[in-house]
Amino acid sequence: MKRTKLKMGLGVLLIACILFLTGCWGKREVENLAPLIGVGIDLGQKPGTYLITEQFSIPEKGGETGAEIQGRTFSVEASNVREADEKISKIAYRKPFMGSLKVIVIGEDAAKAGFNDILDFAQRFPEFRRSMYLVLTKGKAQSILNLKLGVNTSPAMFIKNNLEKWETISTYPMVNLGHYLTVLSRKSTAPIIPLVKSIKSGDGGIEYKTERKDGAEEIQLEGAGVLRGDRLVDFLTDEETKGYMWLENDVIHRLIDTVGIEESKVNFGGKVLKSTTKYNVKGKDGTIGLEYQIKASIAVDEVMGLKEQLSETEWVDLMKGAEKSFAKVIQQECELSIKRERELGLDFLGIGRHIEQKNPAYWKTVKDQWEQKIADFPVSLNVQVTIHNSGMSSSSPTTN
Amino acid sequence: MERISTHQFMTLGAAVLMGATFLPVASLVTGVGGRDGWMSVLPGFAVGIPYGLMVLSLVERYPHKNLLQISETLFGKWIGKIIGVIYILITGYLGGLLLGQAGEIYQTSVMPLTPISVFYLGGLLLVFYLVRSGIEVFARFSEVIFPLIVIALVLDVGLSIPRIEQGELMPILSEGLKPLFWGGIKVLPFPLTYILFLAGIAAFLPTGKQELGQLKTGVWRAVFLVGILDTLVALIQILVFGPTETIRLVYGLLVLGKMVEVSKTVAGVESLFLGVWLGAGVIKISAFFFTAIWGLETVFGLKGLKWDLAVGIVFLGIALQFMRGPSLIKEIGLLDDYLVLPFVSVWILTLWGVARWKKGAGV
Repeated sequence: MKRTKLKMGLGVLLIACILFLTGCWGKREVENLAPLIGVGIDLGQKPGTYLITEQFSIPEKGGETGAEIQGRTFSVEASNVREADEKISKIAYRKPFMGSLKVIVIGEDAAKAGFNDILDFAQRFPEFRRSMYLVLTKGKAQSILNLKLGVNTSPAMFIKNNLEKWETISTYPMVNLGHYLTVLSRKSTAPIIPLVKSIKSGDGGIEYKTERKDGAEEIQLEGAGVLRGDRLVDFLTDEETKGYMWLENDVIHRLIDTVGIEESKVNFGGKVLKSTTKYNVKGKDGTIGLEYQIKASIAVDEVMGLKEQLSETEWVDLMKGAEKSFAKVIQQECELSIKRERELGLDFLGIGRHIEQKNPAYWKTVKDQWEQKIADFPVSLNVQVTIHNSGMSSSSPTTN
Repeated sequence: MERISTHQFMTLGAAVLMGATFLPVASLVTGVGGRDGWMSVLPGFAVGIPYGLMVLSLVERYPHKNLLQISETLFGKWIGKIIGVIYILITGYLGGLLLGQAGEIYQTSVMPLTPISVFYLGGLLLVFYLVRSGIEVFARFSEVIFPLIVIALVLDVGLSIPRIEQGELMPILSEGLKPLFWGGIKVLPFPLTYILFLAGIAAFLPTGKQELGQLKTGVWRAVFLVGILDTLVALIQILVFGPTETIRLVYGLLVLGKMVEVSKTVAGVESLFLGVWLGAGVIKISAFFFTAIWGLETVFGLKGLKWDLAVGIVFLGIALQFMRGPSLIKEIGLLDDYLVLPFVSVWILTLWGVARWKKGAGV
């Protein structure tokens, strides 16, 4: 009796295993797949359509690193992503695999017209991950994804890899789909998305050598776009974006210098080792205001314009002066960002959320007129810089 | 008659109480309680403690009887039978719906091209095997699977910490305590479905004085363990997605699993999590399968392989009835709110009250 029961049990278990472990349904051999790594969204020529660019990776045979990936890029005009997929599937050699998507590039026109409808697929389709990155571009997303880069990689992988090392310079935000959707749901905060642009040799004082005959180009991550909901309103400059990064407590490491900040003949260059931004919502004389407190620790790597040897005491004093200069640079970047926020009337700095967090009762009284309030809402800054070290030497090697 | 140990009672109870509650809990409590919703999870689960203790006090007074048999003793045959029929209908229907949900989750998340009937049949075969093996084997299965479920949950929550958005939890209690009350109400059906299972398993519990004390501790432990885990699950989702997105996401914990990355090399671990969580679904469906067949045996005297197969076919029929995912989720919510919640809260309270009164009156 026991043996029969055992046999029956084993039989049932085997049937269950057969059902669950075969993997016959939906089998996709990896060599038959074309992993999608980048998508570009532009407006189509026909009203109500989009120009959707899909970039697939073709791993290079014998490539030294995983980053050496050639791209195959298709653009189609379609009213939705599924229509675009159908059109691309008809011409693609391999079966497109969506789950590997890393970057979505949104063109300027599509961003200005609003892109949540076309982005819905990215947040709904189960294969996708919310960790994929969003970037904006001036001009067309298609142009960015079709660039021939100097390095042996596709534009989508280039953007992804550069975004993932944002913290080494912290000059632009890293926005993934999940973050964008969370900010969008806050309502009072305007979403912000980093900006990518193509640069040719000579653009913006950057020159590079290339052996490509078709004119190699590079991609630069600089600045950001501010949105009202899902519509692009304007772009932030590099300095304004840097200010945003300080105020958002998003600076991990920064390369920073004091050139042009004041009339002092001695200038400094350095690296931010650590930074913290806190904020306080304060009431003074019946007026509620927000105070940012930024504390940064900087290592001085460069001292320029120092013409004499300094004693230890003088060197300490010089570094104290450097602290003030760096604080001034940070303050200026933040002020530019706050000024831009007031001009646009869009709370991309999330000041409204800060008020809601610290003083919800007051927030309830102002939230309905918040966009009007932004222009003159009191915001103050308190920047403190500490020079952690001044490198391997004091004074400068050459003195006259 | 089969008996389970006090430790098995605790782990089995915790596994049944947990089921797949970690999937909808964040969306449910945040939907009514906003960003403070996570605070209502543990108090909501804690309601299971007095109800669990009421069941154990009935076990003490009426040893080796399930609550349907006790109902017949205390309320009379016909009222007892009516309660039994409601009990069978609720547990049978909920079991079928949960089987459907398990298939829906799997097909939507990781295996979209596999026919949904494969998940139903495969899941049901496992359930059937457990049920036919008896309550002891089921308890041992839970002892093995439940720790894995807990580990998978803790890993998903822990590995999501780097994804936390700044300040999503604040302000705390800005809308007062009222949202917490509504959040707690939404959680209540979870411990009450556990009580439905306790009502049936009561007949298999040891009744020694010392063991009854351990069973009471087991109820406390199970409720707090599951309550704390589900609180963490709700909390991490609010921290990562913010309240509005938490409400919008059907299975937020799976979305979190998809975002897990370790050193930019290990990713796509959601399938592993889902594999473990299938065990949670199987335990819960098995629990309702048990309650349905215990109910049939108690109320109508129907037992044996034939009737077990009949219950399995009913489960399968219910699951196949709901081929639309959103309708299925809505149906489970309606059943929880409008049947499980009023039926269990009134039945157990009344039964316990009448038992106390009769004891006091010496009847």
